[in-house]
Amino acid sequence: MIYDLFNEAIKNLSRSGIKTYLTLLGIIIGIAAIVSLVSIGSGLGMAVEQQLDQLGGKTIFVIPGGFQNIRIKLNETDISNFESIRNVESVVPVYSTSAILEFNGEKINVSVNATDSGDKTLFENTGFFNVKEGRDFTRNESGSILLGSEIAENYFEKKIEIKKLVKINGKDFRVIGILKPLPQSFGGGPDPGNTVLMSLDAFKRISTNLNPTIIFINATDKESVPQVVDDIKDYSDKKYGDKSVNVLSSDNLLETINSLLDMITMFILSLAGISLIVGGIGIMNAMITSVLERTKEIGTLKALGASNNKILTLILIESALIGLIGGIIGILLGFGLAEVIAIIGTQSGFALIAVKSYEIIFGALAFSMIIGMVSGFYPASRAANLDPVEALRYE
Amino acid sequence: MKNEMIRLENVSKIYTLGEIQVKALDNINLSICEQDYVSIMGPSGSGKTTLLDVMSTMMKPTFGKIFIEKKETTKMSNTELASFRGQKIGFIFQTFNLLPKLSALENVMVPMWVNNTTRSERITNAKNILESVGLGDKLQNRPNQMSGGQKQRVAIARALALNPNIIVADEPTGNLDSKSGKIVMDILNDLNKKDGKTLIIVTHDQSIGEKAKRKIVIKDGQILNGNTKVCQL
Ligand SMILES: Nc1ncnc2c1ncn2[C@@H]1O[C@H](COP(=O)(O)OP(=O)(O)OP(=O)(O)O)[C@@H](O)[C@H]1O
Ligand SMILES: [Mg+2]
Repeated sequence: MIYDLFNEAIKNLSRSGIKTYLTLLGIIIGIAAIVSLVSIGSGLGMAVEQQLDQLGGKTIFVIPGGFQNIRIKLNETDISNFESIRNVESVVPVYSTSAILEFNGEKINVSVNATDSGDKTLFENTGFFNVKEGRDFTRNESGSILLGSEIAENYFEKKIEIKKLVKINGKDFRVIGILKPLPQSFGGGPDPGNTVLMSLDAFKRISTNLNPTIIFINATDKESVPQVVDDIKDYSDKKYGDKSVNVLSSDNLLETINSLLDMITMFILSLAGISLIVGGIGIMNAMITSVLERTKEIGTLKALGASNNKILTLILIESALIGLIGGIIGILLGFGLAEVIAIIGTQSGFALIAVKSYEIIFGALAFSMIIGMVSGFYPASRAANLDPVEALRYE
Repeated sequence: MKNEMIRLENVSKIYTLGEIQVKALDNINLSICEQDYVSIMGPSGSGKTTLLDVMSTMMKPTFGKIFIEKKETTKMSNTELASFRGQKIGFIFQTFNLLPKLSALENVMVPMWVNNTTRSERITNAKNILESVGLGDKLQNRPNQMSGGQKQRVAIARALALNPNIIVADEPTGNLDSKSGKIVMDILNDLNKKDGKTLIIVTHDQSIGEKAKRKIVIKDGQILNGNTKVCQL
């Protein structure tokens, strides 16, 4: 009997004309909008968290305050003082500058990052030394660089390949490796896909700016992180003034990023909420119109002896099926859309991932089926409760 | 004397349109016997359709009682009424009211689907009935692939699907040319003559009305004549 109803419902739908397709389209658009927003929204924080997790919570970030020229300048003395703080395992300063990269006669401005330490695990953990092709440089190599894949592949008319010679600020360097891009920029820092990496010795050839833009400090273990943070703060507050140097543990950083992400998530969620309402109303409108149009058919069924329950069940199954089909197509479309948004976003420097979770799939399916059924139920029960004659008279 | 099939006791129907009330049926008492062939005639707006709809359970009267095969339909719940209607009465409409997405065969199968007949039985029965109205070669045609006369024959076949005792038809030839109309009326006449169905027809067509065993004329919601018959209770 239920099987029979299913059969009938499928038959009705498969023979439906343009109007059912329009109904379906309404549902597809609603669901696609919801799914793409939720997918992008829930992907926002994930990658950043993953990366911070990789650092194992032992890392402290020391970032001089200020911008550009008025940035506080930390120097070698500071670095060696940091090294002598209790429970500090290693100190990894990172030097940055922008420089002119010349290849094949073309000149382009790029950002250059360098580090002094032989201990590159920190960098590696954050994905900076994820060498895609070629090899890594060793500590004292002053003529070798790693090139971000974006720069290597897209900046110049001709692709820069490994072993090619390039000029940076007029000095010769050999490209010994290509860096994989990170899926998104790390905490707003440089994207290895868009940067040039070199050793400190190499950096000294092209820049006199030997004040680190960020210093990674590794504590010996997670437990001593607060003490190390305090000691660094005491030191820099005394020397450079209160809060002129930012000292963050990865937990701090996570908190900061999270509170920002929370705001963004709230924003995305409110967008998703609006799209739920708009999509839901679209689905309702489509369903109600299509069922109202069938009032006359409902009248005929009643004349032929069909009970209200039977008619309602039939329409509910049909509505659910339309919701299901529209939901499936809408989800696929929504994920596709999210993927496109993520790719465009990543290319323009935003940390976007399209999350494709079962929660989104089931949530969207349940939503479209339930909204479909509810909005099919209302006009159907109205029609089913009419006298057959009244339903038949409906135009 | 034949047994009573349908009885109306003091039946009135008042339509309310906002402020305006229209008394479409005015205190009607009527008794229709089994195997009877009744035509209902009268001027436009006299209440023919209303009378037919009310006595065939398609619409509830405002006042009065209606009995079909001695059961009071005006007391039944909507669910009871639906299944009772499906079993006892076959409907033929001026505008056919076939389900547009279904083939002729499937349209005839609908009442049996409603009645939970098995699928194989539905197909066999529907085929047989369609053949009996001369549409054995149109089983797979959709309504929009058939002529008016053919559609009305599909509707007759559908009305017969559950072998009801009563057939009601409101202007069954109203949308048909005279030739198709005659084919349809011949089938309906046979249903009464050969199969003993109680047949009630609303019509404007004098020649069709005249063929009935019993002619009821209605005006302003009241029966003018043809209401002398008494059936066995
Ligand atoms: N749904 C309705 N609402 C209000 N008034 C109605 C309704 N249906 C019918 N009427 C009125 O009730 C009266 C009887 O209508 P009915 O349809 O029964 O007449 P009829 O004899 O079948 O007419 P016709 O020959 O034109 O079909 C008419 O005055 C009509 O205007
Ligand atoms: Mg009428």
